[in-house]
Amino acid sequence: MSLPPSFLNQRLPLADLLDLRSFAEVCHSFSELYRVGLKVFDEEGNRLVDVKVGNADFCGYLWSKPAGRARCMETVGRVKSERLAEEARPVTFACFSGCRYVVQPILYEGDCLGRVVFGPFVPEEERELPEALLGHADLDPRRAASYQSKIRRVPMGTAGKILKHFMDLVDVLVFTGHKNLIAAKLHIEAVRESYRELSEKNQKLAESYSALKELDRLKSSFLATMSHELRTPLTSVIGYSEMMLEGLGGPLTAEQREYLGIIMEKGENLLQLITSILDISKIEAGRVRLVLSEVDVCQLMRDAVATLLPLARKRGLKVSCEPVQLPRIHADRDKLRQCLVNLCSNAVKFTPAGGSVVVRGEALGGERLAIHVTDSGIGISEEHLAKVFEVFFQVDGSTTREYGGAGLGLAIVKSYVEAHGGEVQVRSAPGAGSTFTVVLPIRSAAAGPLVTPVPSAAAAGGVR
Amino acid sequence: MVLFNSDSREIAVKVVYYGPALSGKTTNLQSLFQKIDPCVRGRLMTLDTKDDRTLFFDMMPVFFRTRSGVKVKLKLYTVPGQVMHESTRRIVLQGSDAVAFVADSRRSEAASTLAYWNDMLKNLEANGLDWRSLPIVVQMNKRDLPDARGDGELDDLRSVIQPPVLPAVAIRGEGVVETLYAVLQRCYRSLDRAFSLDERLQIPEREFLGQIFSHVDLRGTHLPAEGAAGR
Repeated sequence: MSLPPSFLNQRLPLADLLDLRSFAEVCHSFSELYRVGLKVFDEEGNRLVDVKVGNADFCGYLWSKPAGRARCMETVGRVKSERLAEEARPVTFACFSGCRYVVQPILYEGDCLGRVVFGPFVPEEERELPEALLGHADLDPRRAASYQSKIRRVPMGTAGKILKHFMDLVDVLVFTGHKNLIAAKLHIEAVRESYRELSEKNQKLAESYSALKELDRLKSSFLATMSHELRTPLTSVIGYSEMMLEGLGGPLTAEQREYLGIIMEKGENLLQLITSILDISKIEAGRVRLVLSEVDVCQLMRDAVATLLPLARKRGLKVSCEPVQLPRIHADRDKLRQCLVNLCSNAVKFTPAGGSVVVRGEALGGERLAIHVTDSGIGISEEHLAKVFEVFFQVDGSTTREYGGAGLGLAIVKSYVEAHGGEVQVRSAPGAGSTFTVVLPIRSAAAGPLVTPVPSAAAAGGVR
Repeated sequence: MVLFNSDSREIAVKVVYYGPALSGKTTNLQSLFQKIDPCVRGRLMTLDTKDDRTLFFDMMPVFFRTRSGVKVKLKLYTVPGQVMHESTRRIVLQGSDAVAFVADSRRSEAASTLAYWNDMLKNLEANGLDWRSLPIVVQMNKRDLPDARGDGELDDLRSVIQPPVLPAVAIRGEGVVETLYAVLQRCYRSLDRAFSLDERLQIPEREFLGQIFSHVDLRGTHLPAEGAAGR
């Protein structure tokens, strides 16, 4: 990392330090006050300000004569370019015409930035035109004298004081200009530098974000593959246990039957878990599509309750189904059935003995219907309500928790229901039971067949 | 980086006063401004202060011409100490030839001092400057405050860090000239190694320091009179 060069380390020309327009105004009013011309040059010899007062006729007259023009140019050249000592004091230049210029370098922070030329003026001490000039053949002495009288007469000492006053003024203007310039430029440099720094950090964040996304994709892919690989041998374990139970391997003792029953039950549990993981990884990888058909929701509700009934009875729960009269809907039968089974099995799981689970249908306006799964179980506290639909979330996340499961059931329900263009709601309070409500549109074609939450583009080629 | 212009025979040297907020960097410069003869220094430029806090930096030029005709332009800068001015500190540090690190001696300020020291090393590096070879002096300021570290503790500090450690009470002008002397002496030596100031440009250390310190009010310092040039 290396910073671009800062202007702080550069030398600035006089023109950059002064606001030339307002500086010229200052020079004009100064010249007007003293009725003497004023010129300001930068160190390269560029003229920044030029105010002429009173000398135009006289100088123009001399300039009109070839000899006068040559000598005038020589004087102007010296005044403008002759090397000055870097000292804060005026240097007097005499013109062949008898006029004078006082010149002083503009010194700032030890540098010479240019010079101020004050003049021409006629020194009070020498009012007469020089004899050398009057002896000039081409010149009309009366005319020259009359032109010269329009030029301000100043005692030499006063000229020096006036110039010193002006130099003090220039010094303040240069300092103020320098200060403002630095403040403005540094402000810009600081903002630019902060921006550069932020951009660098953003770049790093973007890189780590895309690395994380790649890891997430790998995780989903790994889960999908592993679930698939785990399911295959498990199917054999369950299948062979079933064959033995049916007596295909010979007669069994009561004890053997009991053990085989346990193996089968646990195998089914494991299979369910693995299937859930496979489902969620498919959802995350965007590989799930809805297969839509006409579905009788009441039948689905009865099926789901029937599936859970043996377990509910075993736990001493009362389960009832109130389907009411509901229209047939356009949906994916298997996925909707899984949603209801997941909700019901959660209700059974989190309701203590003696409680009840009610599955109830309701026709809503606007071509929608609702299915409520209500239990009288332990309920969910408010802080956890918003999170229960998140993947792998468990209200009791401890390793010694009372209730099993992988925390995938509700996440699957939410994804499937939303893919139908519906929504899942939950109402609950600790100790007062929970009600999960699935709201579904009667025709869900509008929502599109793809299961969220993965962007559809990612799943374009991923149908299994 | 020292700027040496062989055509105009000029050397521009940059010294930066770095340190935590309110450690006394601006006070150092203000005190030097009082003590240095106006014939060798310019105005003290203090940029955009608000509530007496430096927003950008302070800058004071010191300049002289050596007997061999080389013009030396020295610029003393401070950085803004407040945390949010990180990028300005980095910009001001660019191209420095030497650094005076101004620290608050109070024990309560130790953590912030260390944080700014590390911040400085990082910003020097960002500017391509090697803090191992750059001349640095440490000024332990505010020695008069009750919670300040004792002299023994400064000796301990001297034994663990390479840069010289100078005590100061900048608000009373104590130690500021000594700090400038120490940082310029180190600066000269480092420039001499890189550019042969003495051999090539005929600027001996004695003259370099003498040109400045003969114009500094040395009363109350332990530096010898006549510009401390004899040291």
